[in-house]
Amino acid sequence: MIASNQPSVIKVRVKRQDGPGQAAYWQHFDIPYEENLNIISVLQKIAAKPITRDGQRVAPIAWDCGCLEEVCGSCTMLINGRVRQSCSALIDRLLEDSPSGEVVLEPMSKFPVVRDLVVDRARIFQALKKVKAWVEVDGYFDMGPGPKQSRTQQEAAYPLSECMSCGCCLEACPQYAKVEVIREAGESEEAYRQRVEAANSVAFIGPHAINQAVLFNSNPTGQFKKAERLEALTEPGGIQVCGNAQNCVAVCPKHIPLTTSIAQAGRAVTVHAVKKFFE
Amino acid sequence: MTNELTFIQKHEFLLRRIHSLTGLVPVGLYMCVHLITNASILNGVEAFQNAVYAIHSLGNALVFVEWGAIFLPLLFHAIFGVYIAYSGQFNTSSYGTAKNWRYVAQRITGLIAFVFIVSHVAHMHGWFHVGFWEKLMHSLGLAQFRAYNAASTAAMAMQANIVWPILYAIGIAASVFHFANGVWTMGITWGVWISPAAQKRADRICAAIGVGILLIGFSALGGFMTLDAQKAEDIENRMYTESVNTGRVVPNAKKLTNPKLLEEQAGTAKP
Ligand code: HEM
Ligand code: SF4
Ligand code: SF4
Ligand code: FES
Repeated sequence: MIASNQPSVIKVRVKRQDGPGQAAYWQHFDIPYEENLNIISVLQKIAAKPITRDGQRVAPIAWDCGCLEEVCGSCTMLINGRVRQSCSALIDRLLEDSPSGEVVLEPMSKFPVVRDLVVDRARIFQALKKVKAWVEVDGYFDMGPGPKQSRTQQEAAYPLSECMSCGCCLEACPQYAKVEVIREAGESEEAYRQRVEAANSVAFIGPHAINQAVLFNSNPTGQFKKAERLEALTEPGGIQVCGNAQNCVAVCPKHIPLTTSIAQAGRAVTVHAVKKFFE
Repeated sequence: MTNELTFIQKHEFLLRRIHSLTGLVPVGLYMCVHLITNASILNGVEAFQNAVYAIHSLGNALVFVEWGAIFLPLLFHAIFGVYIAYSGQFNTSSYGTAKNWRYVAQRITGLIAFVFIVSHVAHMHGWFHVGFWEKLMHSLGLAQFRAYNAASTAAMAMQANIVWPILYAIGIAASVFHFANGVWTMGITWGVWISPAAQKRADRICAAIGVGILLIGFSALGGFMTLDAQKAEDIENRMYTESVNTGRVVPNAKKLTNPKLLEEQAGTAKP
């Protein structure tokens, strides 16, 4: 794309934070324009020359990334106010859509900030543990091959399995409130983690975990844990917290039919709860 | 993990399901029946008065039905609904999809419906039928409805001040949107409509139901705004005398606009 109205610099505004629980502040950076940059390459350029627009040398920005091809989810952040993966966010596209010509980077707002754009996503994985998002195959004995799955079942399950635990759906969900536990002076890592887990355990598990519960309940081997998963979905912070805003499905980069899974789980937990009541 | 759970946290699933259910039955169902009954004013004063006679034939049991089947479930739904509304965080500025706006609207219309219903019940019914409270309500221009002068008192209450019909129009619109959209979200909550295509079909049906009930509600409102209250009262008084004579209606001065006049009438009308 050789557009004549190419800017000479890319204006970047970054929301920074030096550590957990500290105040956030903004910094501006100007990067010489190049074609085909993504947010990660912009962050690399800033890291190579961490000098703000007013010429101040600052600490390099901290951020997370892994796969660089939108499959690990670790680079998720708010880009121009919307949650998405920074590795697949192309500067040329962003500039087309942004009238101010500025790129604004912020850490996700629903998770505690570790530093700058890095957040602590432990709650995402704690929720997956809560709904036992796995099939039980480990053991001392050879259990033989698993049961056959029909083609329709495979095709229904595959899209649900594409989740990369990125947290976009959680960031956009109006029912998913941030849980942040501030470490006390002299508190051991273990004691702190315990408090974090306790706080997370009663907060909303989120659409990604509901979807994983549906996925593994549909798996012939995963079904052994079906009742436990449904039970987990009705615990404090379970599926009942969902308010049907359907933002999750609108922002999921993997286009996972999250609200279909939510409705399926809604039906399953109703049947489960009624059965339990009369059993 | 040692967690002290609050009562709401411990029973969150059950409470949310009861909240969802009460939105449909009895509260939502009652609203539909109520608006349809009110719209019978379009068939004339007699039709509406007869409908009210039927409701008041419950006699002393009416107060239990009102509180047990309507007010208490409504108050539970409304108060827990306010709690739910405040526990969410609106974010339409970043994610401005239609569904997200409806999520916001569901909460705002719920709050409007709450304010409307509290004032509407005070305006017409008065909440409690005990002496000193009734006097207080009457002195405030509230508790205006008289079951044996149903259409005329409703019309006069509505025509007393332009503020009332405006409040009613907003309140009815908010309640109906809240109900129609609520039935749709309820279908997802309980897993009645699952696939995106089914959710879309259900959405159209809920919208059609909403438009239908809104028209019924607004025609009832229009009916009372334009009713000739004096003519209506004459018809009601004639019906009352007849109905008392045939034993259809239990005489009750508190359900009349002008009990003295009718006592006299009843005295002279006796054969
Ligand atoms: C009076 C004040 C009211 C308030 C504050 C209120 C609040 C709410 C809220 C916040 C929800 C969303 C619950 C959720 O999705 O998790 C809701 C749902 C609902 N409300 Fe209300 N409401 C009120 C009155 C009414 C009335 C008058 C009706 C009936 C006409 C009604 C019918 C419903 C229905 C059917 C739902 C759907 C439940 C679901 O999604 O599972 N509500 N209400
Ligand atoms: S469901 Fe989608 S948005 Fe949510 S964590 Fe998984 S991939 Fe990300
Ligand atoms: S549908 Fe439920 S889980 Fe998805 S964004 Fe809305 S409230 Fe959150
Ligand atoms: S780096 Fe893995 S998704 Fe962006």
